[in-house]
Amino acid sequence: MVKFVFIVALVFIGNCFAYPEFQRFSQENSGRPINCAMCHVNGDGPEGASRGQIGSLTPVELNRLNAARGAFAPGMPVESPILNAFGNNIIRKIGKTKFLELRAHPEQLAEAYGFQSDLDEDGIPDAQEYLDGTNPLNRSHGNPWKLFVHNLNQYKLHIFLIILATVAGFYGLSNLLHGFAIQAESHEARN
Amino acid sequence: MLELFLFVGLPYAATIVCIVGTVRRFKYDRYGITTLSSQFLEGKKMLWGSAPWHIGILTVFLGHFVAFLVPGVWQRLMAIPSLLTIAETLGMAASLICLVGLIVLIFRRATTARLQKTTKLADFIVALLLLGQIALGLMIAGGFRWGASWSTGTLAPYIWSLITLGPDISVIRDMPVIIQAHIVGAWLIVFIFPFTRLIHMITVPIHYLMRSPQKVVWTNPRRNASAVVARADQNSRRHFIKASLGLSAAGLLLSVGVLDKLGRFFQMPGLHHDEEADLLETRLRRLQLTAEEKQLELERLRSNEIYVSKLSDLNGSTGKYFIDYAMRPGLAFRSEDGWPMLLSAKCTHLGCTVGNQVDANGKILCPCHVSYFDVKTGLPNEGAPAKAPLDRIAWIVRDEQGAEIATESSRGSRTGRIDPQMAEYYSLYIVRSLSAEA
Amino acid sequence: MKRSFVASTFDFLSSRLPIEKLSFKHMVTEKDVPVHRMSWGYYVGGLALFFFIIQVVTGLMLLFYYEPTVSEAHESVEYITHFVTMGALVRNLHAWSASFMIFCVITHMLTSLAMKAFAKPREITWIAGVLLLLVTFGFGFTGYLLPWNQIAVNATKVGLASIDQVGQYLPAALSHLAEDVRVTIQGAPAIGQATLSRFFALHVVILPLLVLGVIGLHLLSVQLHGMSPGIEEKPVRKEKFFPFFILKDFKEWGIAFLVVFVLALCLPFDSLFPYPLLEPYNALGSTPDGIKPEWYFYFVYYPMELLPFWIIIVVMTTANLGLFAAPWIFKGASHKFMRWIASAIAAYLIIMTLFGESIYHAIKG
Repeated sequence: MVKFVFIVALVFIGNCFAYPEFQRFSQENSGRPINCAMCHVNGDGPEGASRGQIGSLTPVELNRLNAARGAFAPGMPVESPILNAFGNNIIRKIGKTKFLELRAHPEQLAEAYGFQSDLDEDGIPDAQEYLDGTNPLNRSHGNPWKLFVHNLNQYKLHIFLIILATVAGFYGLSNLLHGFAIQAESHEARN
Repeated sequence: MLELFLFVGLPYAATIVCIVGTVRRFKYDRYGITTLSSQFLEGKKMLWGSAPWHIGILTVFLGHFVAFLVPGVWQRLMAIPSLLTIAETLGMAASLICLVGLIVLIFRRATTARLQKTTKLADFIVALLLLGQIALGLMIAGGFRWGASWSTGTLAPYIWSLITLGPDISVIRDMPVIIQAHIVGAWLIVFIFPFTRLIHMITVPIHYLMRSPQKVVWTNPRRNASAVVARADQNSRRHFIKASLGLSAAGLLLSVGVLDKLGRFFQMPGLHHDEEADLLETRLRRLQLTAEEKQLELERLRSNEIYVSKLSDLNGSTGKYFIDYAMRPGLAFRSEDGWPMLLSAKCTHLGCTVGNQVDANGKILCPCHVSYFDVKTGLPNEGAPAKAPLDRIAWIVRDEQGAEIATESSRGSRTGRIDPQMAEYYSLYIVRSLSAEA
Repeated sequence: MKRSFVASTFDFLSSRLPIEKLSFKHMVTEKDVPVHRMSWGYYVGGLALFFFIIQVVTGLMLLFYYEPTVSEAHESVEYITHFVTMGALVRNLHAWSASFMIFCVITHMLTSLAMKAFAKPREITWIAGVLLLLVTFGFGFTGYLLPWNQIAVNATKVGLASIDQVGQYLPAALSHLAEDVRVTIQGAPAIGQATLSRFFALHVVILPLLVLGVIGLHLLSVQLHGMSPGIEEKPVRKEKFFPFFILKDFKEWGIAFLVVFVLALCLPFDSLFPYPLLEPYNALGSTPDGIKPEWYFYFVYYPMELLPFWIIIVVMTTANLGLFAAPWIFKGASHKFMRWIASAIAAYLIIMTLFGESIYHAIKG
């Protein structure tokens, strides 16, 4: 019984952001509300006892967490159990030292991370999704216009075929209307 | 040597003969460019032969032509399995249709006496060549499946090498004999083209489809008159034919698209076992969460008191969340005099969860529609969307032995006395018997 | 001489449902559609029907994978979107076409109002239409909950909580009635499995059956009476419903399908929401920012946030009753007046839908 109260109580701590500077920047830059789930496993941040929060980690996971915390230089293997794929990739790419420095300039994170990686393959680079306040790990989430343009390009063939079908159908229906009109006319003329 | 002759010499010779012969006929025998129609000699069988033959052969010809003309585009289209299946099916069906048509036509020639008078040797050669060519084509389609796809990488380069005057027969040299025969047959047809009725093709009589029907008949005045009337009535026919062309194209494309997507929607998605495991894990976690929620609910139904916290762990600035008897979130604070204060955290406006940080004015904020609630009284600020105060939650404090120290009902009436010094030994419970519901 | 009630009821029904016209000849071969400057309005209803057909087809497809339980609903929707081949397309088709359908239904209502299409003998057509409008909103409201994500449940919570607010205007003895109604709709004191089951049943079985019945009546009476004249003057000319009008209808359907297909293929509906709202609903967690209903409820949602609740109740009740009673209220009104009313309503709807949020922020600060 005590355990359940404990779990629930921790769930409610919520809004404990490890590095809120980045969240605040992304939110202001994009005008979209976002939460910790952009980089963390848990939307309420790393503190607590729910999944992806520090209180729930097994000893093995704690080791991985410590290893990730020590990844000061770029290019070290990072597999923190409290970070999601994007969060881990940030530390892997720029290193913890640089990351901590960037807290003062959260707008430079995108530049430092680079615009090559696109983890969810939706055509919008992760760094851009950070600037746009959209989910870098969800294929069907992104800036609507950019997503639309990318998908339009990706599904060219399908769209070409349906336009072809529509044009053919229009051609057919127009001629059908024409045919009926002529028939009706000659019908009237004869009566 | 024979290969060079058949696949390089013959094509060029055939093409030259075909062009020169056609030009000559245009120059000297303009009115001989004709199908040599025999419709007025025999009409019934003609319909059942000529129509399927032409529909079939034109479809097949168009397929070959497009594949050779734009092999790149064609190959990309054929990379889509459903389109490939359709192209192959369509091609086979068209070949069968024109085969049937051709057989009817040959049978017609052979069985109608008045036709035999007009039949020349060239006609028989044409008929046999075409028959052979179609039979070979069908055999290839059956024996070497998916020709619509592989031909773009083999036969198309060969044709293009001929056109660009750099003949390259390496790809077809080792091909099966029936395919080679099909190629040779094609060149032979090109070769005899200008000397036979095949030449009617170059007039490209597509408008035949659209114009009002013409019939080759013996003329007489009565027939002339009725033809004029009929013509007026059948003027709309070409529109209907165009319409059926357009609509069937649209219908074909749409049904292919829709069936393709429909079929794949219901197919089991082939997941990697890692993906499968991830999925299962997420589902399991959701089930566990639901189970935990149900556990909490059961606990609230069964027990009269539920532990919230040690009294000493509470303070006046950050509330501690818990779940009350109605399964709503609640907040526990401790005032300066050491007494606990328990409020419902469910906003009385629209039910959002109220925040737990007490600001400088002693108020907590509901983030959804910005209502500030006083921690001491639960009252919302003036002009807030929420009108009613947050409910008080009844509690009881017990010491380590479980003896009752103090209580407060949900109406706010208190009993007992709390010694702030002893807070470390006191535990806070919510209690049902003192709630308004009880 | 005063005629008996039974006789006058019988007369009313027989002139509204002229069974003698129930023939193929009358309803199809001889039906005419007037051609004039407002005849584009005749096509909107057909378009709504087309989107409804898309909804039925895609809805049935989604039904093969969707699981209506609190613990599985969100996961099954995610499964459809990310794992089922073409699942995202089908789901987005359903979402986009729902929005288009509601847009068409509202436009259809407004054009019919502007054309005074409810005038005798078309009262039954109109009332069936108003019912369909309400049922369409019902579809929107119930369907919104089914993905069981944060925005779905919280927006539904907000919507249902507004029922509670009626209670404060009831006499003391009845003040619990409103809450009882809400709890009955929810099936439990708090939104949970009971609510999901109820909304699922409504969305998937009951409302569709209702629509089928009412649409049958609606279309039957449209075919029996023919299109309403629409304007006071004589139309430029008339064209046959079959084949001319219906073929033009199909053309519009073709364009509509192209648009909705390309949108569904290229623009996931989810991308229009902040992603925290798409996480599974957590009954015990905090409510994320940005909860609001679908765009087609803005016209009532933003005024509700801004004005005292009793105004909303009065206006909504009047509007609903007014819609049902329109054939009798506006019996003598001129077409011009009706066009004016319809434009005023349209202007209000457009302004509230497009700028409701800005107005709300401007006033609330």
